[in-house]
Amino acid sequence: MRSYPLWTRRDVLRMTGLAGLGLAAASCAEEPESPGEDADAAAESPSPAFTEPTARLSGSLSILMWSHFVPSHDEWFDQFTREWGEQVGVNVTVDHIDVAGVPARIAAELSAGQGHDLMQYIAPLAQFEPSVLDLADVTEEANNRYGEQLEICRKSSFNPTTGKFYAFGPGWVPDPGNFRRSMWEPVGLTDGPRTWDELLEGGSEIMATQGVQLGIGMSQEIDSNMAGRALMWSFGASIQDENENVVLNSPETVAAVEYMVRLFQGAMTDEVFSWNAASNNQGMVAGKLSYILNSISAYRTSQETNPDIANDTLFVPALEGPETALAAQHVMYNWLVPQHATNPDAAKEFLLHYTANLESAAYHSKLYDFPAWDGLVPNLKAWLEDDPFGSQPADKLAFLADSTDWATNIGHPGPANTAEGEVFGLPIIPNMFARAARGEVTPDQAVADATAEVDAIFAKWRARGLIGGGG
Amino acid sequence: MTQATTATRPPATPATGRRRLADREGPLASLFLLPAVVYVVALVGVPFVLAIGFAFSDVTAGDPSYDWAGLDAYRRVFDDPVFWQALRNTLVFTGVSMVLIVVFGKVLANILIADFRGKWLVRFLVLLPWTTPVALSTVSWLWLLDSIFSPIDWLLRQVGLLEGNMYWLGRPSLATASVIAVHVWRLVPLAAVIIMAGLIAIPRDIDEAARVDGAGFWRRMFEVTIPLTMPLIAVAALFGAIFTFTDMAVVYVLTRGGPTNSTQVLASWAFVRGIEGGDVAQGAAIALFLFPLLLAAAVLILRAVRRMQVM
Repeated sequence: MRSYPLWTRRDVLRMTGLAGLGLAAASCAEEPESPGEDADAAAESPSPAFTEPTARLSGSLSILMWSHFVPSHDEWFDQFTREWGEQVGVNVTVDHIDVAGVPARIAAELSAGQGHDLMQYIAPLAQFEPSVLDLADVTEEANNRYGEQLEICRKSSFNPTTGKFYAFGPGWVPDPGNFRRSMWEPVGLTDGPRTWDELLEGGSEIMATQGVQLGIGMSQEIDSNMAGRALMWSFGASIQDENENVVLNSPETVAAVEYMVRLFQGAMTDEVFSWNAASNNQGMVAGKLSYILNSISAYRTSQETNPDIANDTLFVPALEGPETALAAQHVMYNWLVPQHATNPDAAKEFLLHYTANLESAAYHSKLYDFPAWDGLVPNLKAWLEDDPFGSQPADKLAFLADSTDWATNIGHPGPANTAEGEVFGLPIIPNMFARAARGEVTPDQAVADATAEVDAIFAKWRARGLIGGGG
Repeated sequence: MTQATTATRPPATPATGRRRLADREGPLASLFLLPAVVYVVALVGVPFVLAIGFAFSDVTAGDPSYDWAGLDAYRRVFDDPVFWQALRNTLVFTGVSMVLIVVFGKVLANILIADFRGKWLVRFLVLLPWTTPVALSTVSWLWLLDSIFSPIDWLLRQVGLLEGNMYWLGRPSLATASVIAVHVWRLVPLAAVIIMAGLIAIPRDIDEAARVDGAGFWRRMFEVTIPLTMPLIAVAALFGAIFTFTDMAVVYVLTRGGPTNSTQVLASWAFVRGIEGGDVAQGAAIALFLFPLLLAAAVLILRAVRRMQVM
C-alpha cells in the first residue's frame, strides 16, 4: 500500500540546492535546529499513504493523546490527522496533554460518559475494559493487511479471560540500556555492560573512581516500575505466571531485591528515590549518570543540547541475568474507543489509516516509535543501521532491529491484565526494591509485603471475572 | 416621623410585580444567595454525597456502574499499611505546619505593620507565595530541591557547608521537612495578613498605656498584643491547618508520596489509589477520612469568628 514519492532524493537535493542558492551564505552560518531537519533527512521522509474508508464518514472526531517525548512527532501527527480529516470529510481535533495526566483524564471522561472519541496512552489500559468498545475488528483488519501482530503488543491490548481487545496496539518503544562509553572504557567495558553482574561491578568501580553513579530508579514513577520488572524477569521472577496467578513471593524475586540492594550500595545514591519520569533523562543529558534504562529520547535530546554527550552515549540490549535477558517495553501504545464515542466508525477508520502510516510515525519520532507488525516499516532496519538523524557512529541504533528478542510486555509471562495495570499504576514494585535498598526491611520482608498488596488487587479483579487464575 | 415615612414611600402609581419583589427583602435575599447556594451544592455537596456513595460501592475508574459493596472498600483501606502511614503523615504535616505558620505569620505581621520605605513593595512581594497557584510554585520548589541541580545545594557548597548533594527529596526525613517547608512558605503570607488586620485594630492608647506602665517588648507582646489578637491568630492557624490538611498538590508534585511512601498524605493517597490505581471506591473511602477533621476545624473557625464579633 505504500506510495512512493514523486521526486527522487536526487531531485529534491537539486531543487533544494537551486532554491537555496541565494541564501547560501546565511545557511552556511546556521546549524539545523535538529538533526532531522537537514536536507538528507528531509529527503527520506516517507510519503503518507491513504486508503479509502470502507464506509462513508462524516461528523467530527476528537482525539486525546499524550504530548510525545519527541516533539517533531506531534507536529507531523497534527498535520497528518488534519489532512486525513479533509480527505474523508471528518472534522478532526487533537488534544495533546502531559503524559502524567492522561489516565486521570480518561478516567474522568469514562465516568462522565462523555468526552473524546479516541484516547491514547503509553501503557496498557486494561483497567478501562468495561467502558470501552471491543477493537477486535480493527486488530483483525490490521492483521489481514500486514500479517500477525507482534505478541508484545497483542498481550498488551487483549484480555484472554474475556476475549476482548480492550485497546488497539499499533506500536511500541524499546527500553534499552544507555551508557557513557568514556566512563565504561576505563573499567574494561568499552561496549558497556552486557549482564547485571557487569553492571554491578563496572558501575561500582565507576562510582568509586570517577564519582559518577548509575541510574536505575526506585521511585514512585513509571520508569522505576519498568526497571524493576526488567530486573525481576532477568532473575526468573515475575508478578504473575502465564495463567495470571500471583507468583511474586519467590526465591527469584528475593534474589533480585538482594541484587538491587548491592547495586544501590555500590553504584547509586539516594537520588534514585526522588526521581520522576524525566529525571534519568535529565541526569544522562547533563552527563551525571553512567548508565540508565530508557528509550532513545534522552539521547535525542542530548543530540540537540549536548552533542558531546550524545556522541559518547551508546546502547546495550536488556542485561543478561541468572535466568534470561528481558526488558519491559518503554512505551506501549494503547488506543481506546470509549463506549460514549459519538463517532466510533471514524475512530476505527482513523486507527487503520494511522497504522498504514506507521513508517511516517517512526520517522517523525526519530526512530522512537516501533510498529506492531514486522515489515510495516520496511526502511526501519536501514534507518537504524544508518541513522538519518545524525548519530555518531551512524549505526549505534542498529541493535534495536532485534529488540523484540529481549523486550516483553507488562504482565510477562502472562497478559497485561487489569490487575497488572493497577499494580503498575501504584508504586508497589519500586517501593519493594527501595525499602530493602534503604535498609528499612529485609529483602524477604519487602517481597512479602509487596505480595500482600498484589494478592489483594488480583483477588479483587478475579472476583469481577476480568482476570483468570486462582484455580 | 410620619412625614419622613410618607416621603420615602414610592409614588402612588399602580405597583408592578417587579417593584414588589424589589421591595421585599426576604425573597430578594434568597435570590441573591441562590448563586452561592447552587455553587456550594453543585461543587461541594454533590461530590461529597457521591464520595459517600462510592465508598460503599465497587466503582472503578473503568467501570462506573454502581453496585453496593458494603464495607469492602473500608476493609481494604484498614488492611493497607500505607493508609495508616498517610494518616499519620497528614496529622504530623498539619500540626507542625500550623505551629510554624502562626509563629512566622506573627513575626511577618509585626514587620509589615512597621513604618519603613518601600513597605508596599515588600507587602506585595510577601504576598506572592500565597497568590501564586500551588502547583506552579511547587514546581519551582521541585527545581530548588532537585537532587542534582539544586541551587540550595550549590549555595551550601559555595560557602563550604556541603560536599556533594543533600538529596532533599530522596531521603525520608529531608523530604518530610521539604514538604512542611513548602506548606509554611506558601501559607505564612495568608496568616500574616490575617494577623496584621488584628494588630492594626488594636487601639494605639492601649499599647501606649502599657509602655507608660513600663512594659517591655516581650511583656507587651505576650500580655497585650497576643491576647487581643488571639481570635485572629486562631483563624490564621485554622486556615493554615485546613489548607495543609486538604492539599495534595505539594506532595504530589514534590515527591509523589515517596521515598517509600514516607511523605504520602490522605489526599495524595486517595488520588493514587482512586485514579492512578483505578479503585475509585477505595479512593473515596480514604478521602472521606478528611471529613471529620475538616468538620471540627470549620466549627472552631466559626466559633473563633463569633468570639471576634463579640469583641
